[in-house]
Amino acid sequence: MSDLDKAIAQLRSCRPIPEDQVRELCHRARELLIEEGNVVTVTAPVTICGDIHGQFHDLMELFRVGGDVPDTNYLFMGDFVDRGFYSLESFLLLLCLKVRYPDRMTLIRGNHESRQITTVYGFYDECLRKYGSANVWRYCCDVFDYLALGAIVLGASSTLSPGSPEDDDTEIEVCDQAGSIISRFPRQSANQPSQEKLDSSSKNTVDKTGPPGTGASGSSSGSVGNPTGAILCVHGGLSPLVDTVDKIRLIDRKQEVPHEGAMCDLLWSDPDEIDGWGLSPRGAGFLFGADIVKVFNHRNDLSLIARAHQLVMEGFKEMFDASIVTVWSAPNYCYRCGNVAAVLELTEDESGTGIFQRTNGDVGRSSGGIVEPRGGPKNGPARRYRVFQAAPQDSRGMPAKKPVADYFL
Amino acid sequence: MSHVQNWTSLGIVDPSSPPVFQTPVKRIHQTDDVGRFLVSLAYRDIGLFILQLNHALCPRQPNGSSFPSVFPLGPSSTTTASIQSCQTLLSRIRNLIGKAPPDPGSQRFGNVSFRKWYQLLNAELDDLLDHGLLGETLRIGNGHAKDEVASYLLGAFGSPQRLDYGTGHELNFIAFIGCLWKLGHFKDGKQGGGIEREIVLLVVEPYLDIVRQLISTYTLEPAGSHGVWGLDDHSFIPYIFGSAQLTRPISSELDSMPTEGSVRGAPKPSDVTNPTIVEDMRQTNMYFSAVAFINDVKKGPFWEHSPMLFDISGIKDGWGKINKGMIKMFNAEVLSKFPVIQHFPFGSLFAWDENRQVLDQDLRRETTRSHSHLG
Repeated sequence: MSDLDKAIAQLRSCRPIPEDQVRELCHRARELLIEEGNVVTVTAPVTICGDIHGQFHDLMELFRVGGDVPDTNYLFMGDFVDRGFYSLESFLLLLCLKVRYPDRMTLIRGNHESRQITTVYGFYDECLRKYGSANVWRYCCDVFDYLALGAIVLGASSTLSPGSPEDDDTEIEVCDQAGSIISRFPRQSANQPSQEKLDSSSKNTVDKTGPPGTGASGSSSGSVGNPTGAILCVHGGLSPLVDTVDKIRLIDRKQEVPHEGAMCDLLWSDPDEIDGWGLSPRGAGFLFGADIVKVFNHRNDLSLIARAHQLVMEGFKEMFDASIVTVWSAPNYCYRCGNVAAVLELTEDESGTGIFQRTNGDVGRSSGGIVEPRGGPKNGPARRYRVFQAAPQDSRGMPAKKPVADYFL
Repeated sequence: MSHVQNWTSLGIVDPSSPPVFQTPVKRIHQTDDVGRFLVSLAYRDIGLFILQLNHALCPRQPNGSSFPSVFPLGPSSTTTASIQSCQTLLSRIRNLIGKAPPDPGSQRFGNVSFRKWYQLLNAELDDLLDHGLLGETLRIGNGHAKDEVASYLLGAFGSPQRLDYGTGHELNFIAFIGCLWKLGHFKDGKQGGGIEREIVLLVVEPYLDIVRQLISTYTLEPAGSHGVWGLDDHSFIPYIFGSAQLTRPISSELDSMPTEGSVRGAPKPSDVTNPTIVEDMRQTNMYFSAVAFINDVKKGPFWEHSPMLFDISGIKDGWGKINKGMIKMFNAEVLSKFPVIQHFPFGSLFAWDENRQVLDQDLRRETTRSHSHLG
């Protein structure tokens, strides 16, 4: 068993590894991450995950539900640390898995992967409490600076199980943590306005047609815009300074998250029911509306943007005619929010008719004579959401009380 | 400045020459401004007022008496008109919740009906503050006091924009009560501790109870939550006053706050981790009442979701030690933290002006004492 495998085993049992091992791990991770571009290319199949926030036991539940590494290919969209009790164990385990299986684990940066934010929201305090010094926090922050800012998923299939005809027209499937299907939503044909189609085919009321997380409205099922495009994954969202994916590639990312600018916006922005851009109540990043997403997706040959950053009660939420989805992977967030979590599975296209590699950001590119088929199913990626709840807690023993903060000495 | 200054309690405005009242405005725009705040009159007055209330809650045991007097939470009845007027105000504010039921539609997290509740509060604010004895108090300065005081009350119940609530909002309520104190509203009560106890037990605790109901009803997010690494998602003040209630008694009103020890019969600090004892104590003690609310809303092991309170429960030197630590921590984590204090507005009663008051020798020594106590 290599040292790395030993560290993985130790972290899986939720025990921190010694400081010198953390230093070594962070050093190796940095060497690996420095080679990655700002936007990592990932090939389906892949399971996309949102915020973790140090909820270690729920991360273990995520691996049970989504499959273990390296059997499942994972993409985590940041916010590994802060607020939860086990940011350290969670981040170090993910980092170990990244170093051990670099091609099966993609980590991108969230707004909490920052020195300034972690000193306020808990990770710094946690490192101090668990190691008695800030060294480990410093090593981790140095890794944060090298994390990619986004990822592009290529090769995602438009069907969930290639070869089985009954699944052919399934666009969205929602499963529970045991893998049982909760709901399944067929792809709509492209020549009918979605509202009309749903009204005639569904016995549900109009405002309750979508699966949970899809905004529960008739307008949210079915991709429009660019059904054959790739999927962009980013922690927060878009930036008024970034109109093409290639502009993300030009950012000098190896630094603390700035207070403003493209890099800041990608990690801080949120989609909202507005036109164009708006000021964010977070004080960083922007709000952006459906029009912004649709233009961006069209221009960049994207069928979908997957992002995290916002708690959603049902674990995922598709917005703007399924042009953007929020994925949230921290169940019962902060021990109190009562939400479920989700991961998004994109399957591999084996037929050669799904989504294949193209240059992204190639503005004005000819369609090559391919005309979007009318009447047939649209070719956006099929999406399987695995929804799960917080891990059971009865098995966690009470630790010894630690020395109190200086205020109480 | 025409304040009648007394080191042990917040000064009261001379009604014959009131200050020029103004609608409070934010002054803290960047991190550097926090340092300036820490030498302002407002900072001095907030500290003074909290220490004054804190001191009043400490049990008393005059030399020779065999039993300490303690000051638990209890029945809300009082004959003090000023306290009654605040209770009426709070009960009218609580009733607004019934008029803004939570929206059943899907939302991301915080319930949008909180905005409706806030609008109702805003719309009734004038009427609420014109009412009865409160109205009489606020007529000072031709009614201009009301606008100044109203903005602290309006700021005390969370942010309708962000649908969240935190210690900054709690601080606004303390400032609201502090304004009323300065305007002489509480002169009718038993001076020298009695009125302060009524303020905390019969006004502040009911306020906290309304806040808890708002948080539960509209699922308000913790403002700027540190998650498990903060003391509490939303509150701070009940941990100060609640620990004061259990501190070792003082024998004279002139004694300063004990910095260690517990009153006879107090629960042990470690009882905080025992849900049954917490449930028993929530009716009588503000600290346990706050912990009980955490137990109500959080699922999971206490040591994991509240490690700071868990660690504090291991303190061996009693509630006096915890009280001293809470006050220091409040000073550092609430009053001195830019993300919290940036929203605090300043007017004539809690003034941005620098604290340059010339103090006589005694006063200076005592202020230093209370400030080092605070810091």
